[in-house]
Amino acid sequence: MKKHFLYILCLILLFRCKKEEIGPQCLNCDETPISNTSSTDVLIINEGTFGWSNASIALYNKSNNNVNQNVFKNANNVTSLGDVAQSFLQINDKGYIVVNNSNKIEVVKMNDFKSVTTITGFNSPRYMLKINNSKAYVTDLYSNSVQIVNLNSNTISGNIAVQGWTEQLVLHNDTAYVCDMTNNNILIINTLTDVLVDSIKVGISPNSLVLDKNNQLWVLCSGGFNKENARLIQINPSNRDIIQTFTFSNINHSPGSLIINGSKDNLYFINNSIYQMSITGNSLPSTPIVTNSGNLFYGLGIDPTNNDIYVADAIDYVQNGVVFRYSASGSLIHQFTAGIIPGSFWFIE
Amino acid sequence: MFKAKLLLVCFNLTSFQLCAYVVKKILLTLLFVFSFTNTFSNNETLDTIAGKTFELIDQKIPQQYKKTAFDSISIVESQNLSELIQQHSSVFIKDYGPSSLSSISFRGTGASHTQVQWNGVLLNSPMNGQIDFSLYPTIFFNQAELHHGAASLLDRNGALGGSVLLKNSQNFESKNTAFIKQSVGSFGAYKTELSTSFIQNKWLFETQLFYYTAKNDFEFKNISKKGTPIEQQKNAEMSQYGIQQGIYRQLKNGSFGGRIWLFDSDRNLAPTITKDSANENQKDQSFRALLEYKQLRNKLSFTVTSGLIKDVLIYEDMSAKIYSKSNSYLVDNLINTTYYINNKINIINNLNIRFETAESGGYSTIKERTQGSWMTGATFHFGRVQLNVFNRFIALNDVFNPLAPSVGGKIQLLKKEQLYLKANAGINYHYPTLNDLYWNPGGNNSLEPEKAQMIEAGFSFTKNIGTTELSLDAVGFYNYVSNWIIWLPTEFNYWSPTNLKEVENKGFEATFGLKTTFGKLTVKHNANYAYTASTNIKTNNELDNSIDKQLIYVPFHKLNYTLSIGYKKTSLYYNYSYTGLRFISTDNNWYLPANFIHNASISQQIKLKKIMLTASFKANNLLNQDYQAMAYRAMPGRHFLFSISLGL
Repeated sequence: MKKHFLYILCLILLFRCKKEEIGPQCLNCDETPISNTSSTDVLIINEGTFGWSNASIALYNKSNNNVNQNVFKNANNVTSLGDVAQSFLQINDKGYIVVNNSNKIEVVKMNDFKSVTTITGFNSPRYMLKINNSKAYVTDLYSNSVQIVNLNSNTISGNIAVQGWTEQLVLHNDTAYVCDMTNNNILIINTLTDVLVDSIKVGISPNSLVLDKNNQLWVLCSGGFNKENARLIQINPSNRDIIQTFTFSNINHSPGSLIINGSKDNLYFINNSIYQMSITGNSLPSTPIVTNSGNLFYGLGIDPTNNDIYVADAIDYVQNGVVFRYSASGSLIHQFTAGIIPGSFWFIE
Repeated sequence: MFKAKLLLVCFNLTSFQLCAYVVKKILLTLLFVFSFTNTFSNNETLDTIAGKTFELIDQKIPQQYKKTAFDSISIVESQNLSELIQQHSSVFIKDYGPSSLSSISFRGTGASHTQVQWNGVLLNSPMNGQIDFSLYPTIFFNQAELHHGAASLLDRNGALGGSVLLKNSQNFESKNTAFIKQSVGSFGAYKTELSTSFIQNKWLFETQLFYYTAKNDFEFKNISKKGTPIEQQKNAEMSQYGIQQGIYRQLKNGSFGGRIWLFDSDRNLAPTITKDSANENQKDQSFRALLEYKQLRNKLSFTVTSGLIKDVLIYEDMSAKIYSKSNSYLVDNLINTTYYINNKINIINNLNIRFETAESGGYSTIKERTQGSWMTGATFHFGRVQLNVFNRFIALNDVFNPLAPSVGGKIQLLKKEQLYLKANAGINYHYPTLNDLYWNPGGNNSLEPEKAQMIEAGFSFTKNIGTTELSLDAVGFYNYVSNWIIWLPTEFNYWSPTNLKEVENKGFEATFGLKTTFGKLTVKHNANYAYTASTNIKTNNELDNSIDKQLIYVPFHKLNYTLSIGYKKTSLYYNYSYTGLRFISTDNNWYLPANFIHNASISQQIKLKKIMLTASFKANNLLNQDYQAMAYRAMPGRHFLFSISLGL
């Protein structure tokens, strides 16, 4: 008997001596916090695998090609940013990371990514839009509302009732234009009164929209899963009329990530490959600017300063993705490893 | 008395070589003209064999195959099948925490590559091919064993990693029994178990009732938040109840009967620790029924089993306003026969016809399919050598697959020692699930079956010295799985399965058992260890960093050890489970550190006239380890369970 107890004791002691590690650990990660971000830095917002809480932010310096991984984690000495980093917005000297499945927005200082606060109380937040210096809107997948955030107190101050899933949104004058994925509308919200005033019917699944230099709205509708052909729609916000509609020829195609360049005269989107289209173009581009040779492109970003094209391949969605940086004309400049599922980019202002 | 028991055990579908051995004894006692002395190569007498009834019952497949037979103490000490496998075998369980999902990875394979049989009836969901091991309370079966690798080839097609066999054995000779147990535990756990067995005029009636409820509102350190605050687990309340009723009739050289298993689980699904709120709920409702007819006629033994399984799964997420309900039904029919030509050769023929159907919001219409398989082969015994050769023919809808063979053998190395060398090889196929084929969008109806080619070799050694019994078993395996189905995103923005992945599983499994009796003191040690290296060897993306890396959530090392000590009416039990580092990203950049969990219990029996009162106290996670079994899923620290039972 005695022998057995001694034996157990040994066993216990043996395994107690190890350094205590709890939860996910990184094998090859530099854990030093970043010192100072600059205007030559690009943020890569890595969504992470849904439900796995492995979202992260990577920082790429476009002048020296240096990459810092896990910027938020390292700056704040926490294990994870959260579950699904959906989008990022810079407002002055602060960064807002919308963490969809952790129901929160992390507010950080832009220079070192140290946490300012966490805005909680969301349901399934998607995108954030600055309305003015004290107010922002946040769209949501499930809450049937657009949340109003007070930027001074970093709290939710109210909400605007909508029906279903709201996605990307833009501001023009005193009006916010919001993609309504459930009802295939562009919702029109008066930002002075926070009231939903109207909607414009577009195609199925309007997933992204931009405003061009002539203050025209461009809306990309994916068409759902083989429900209808995808469409790119131009809307004149002043009279809410649809000016023109470009229909994609293949019903299987599901384009997304509509982005506009810095001078707001060229549109970019992913439709397997990357396409570029002038706002004055009279048809959809037939040849891509970047061809997806074996890659499945996920996130897209256009450098507003020089039109460099950043695009990510998430590979199997359970490992670090790869980011390709192409010149404005589509030749590869550099490629580097980011975090898990690189979904979007932010070019630090 | 013993005969009847053996007879029943024997007719189980997979007890080939052992059955031959046991049936020979029966045949002898029934005055069949048989000589069997050669078969007992260790010269054991009938009496000593008879004294080891339970060990005989546990041995269902030829000894050359690797299996884990759980002893009754382990079954009773475990809350459910998940805990039983996790703590008492080398097989890895993916445990999402109390009240949540629990799936399996057997020899590095995926969750749908392990098949679970209940008295022969295959329970795996026709929809995703998986089993949630947290939904199987241990009171609902009295025997359980794992068939590793090549052993599972004999059970069914489809088990690329292994199979789990749950059995309810009948004993027509036992006394009437009644047993009730009430347990109270930490985090609002209440459990009531009732079990009765009643025999009259060759009829056996048995009932098991189960009720369990828990709040699971344990505290944990939230490492994902600044300052790692202590938080309480949210949204993890659960309740489970079930009833199983069996009725059997003893026949001359056989039995006929059936059983019904009703089970209902209602649980909230706890969020990851990075989520502040959760409103997910899952309800699982199962109806399972089977009829069995077992018979021995001359040299032919057969079992005819017909099972009907209905599973309902209701998933709700209040905050996302999602409500989904799926129903699946399956009918599983088995005819298993063994023909004992002589004491050297037995012929086995097993026929299985399975019908599956399911309806779900994820399918455009109700989906169904029929699968048939016929396994034929023989076992041979020549002195110290035993061999078996089998092949399985599979038909699925209108596709015929004529080759899924399994061969195995063992040789006794020394005439006087129970030291065997053993080796097995085979090919097994796992067919795509209904979700793989028909999920909308993404389902791919041109998928090929997943194919596993496996070989294994090892040794086993058992020795009895006085009152000490020693057993050792070690096996190395290689399992090459091709056409492994993996869901990946497509250019159409939805995910779709393809036969892309190829995986090499290599490893080593060892079991050690030592039982010593000193008068009224019994000390029993049991240890299981597995080393598993599972690597992905194929990709279609040159950027893919998962090549030649360990598959995620496959620990390289897993070890557990159980000590049970019985002295008069007091027993002590201690269990140690070590799960080694496992990677959680396919490029092996992220990992979960190893965890080591200690559990202990003490129980005391008190005899009150005819009634046996047992009080027991169990401490789980004795050293209050803070750990995650799955990334960002909270696990409880030290917690307790106090039970009182009355047995008649």
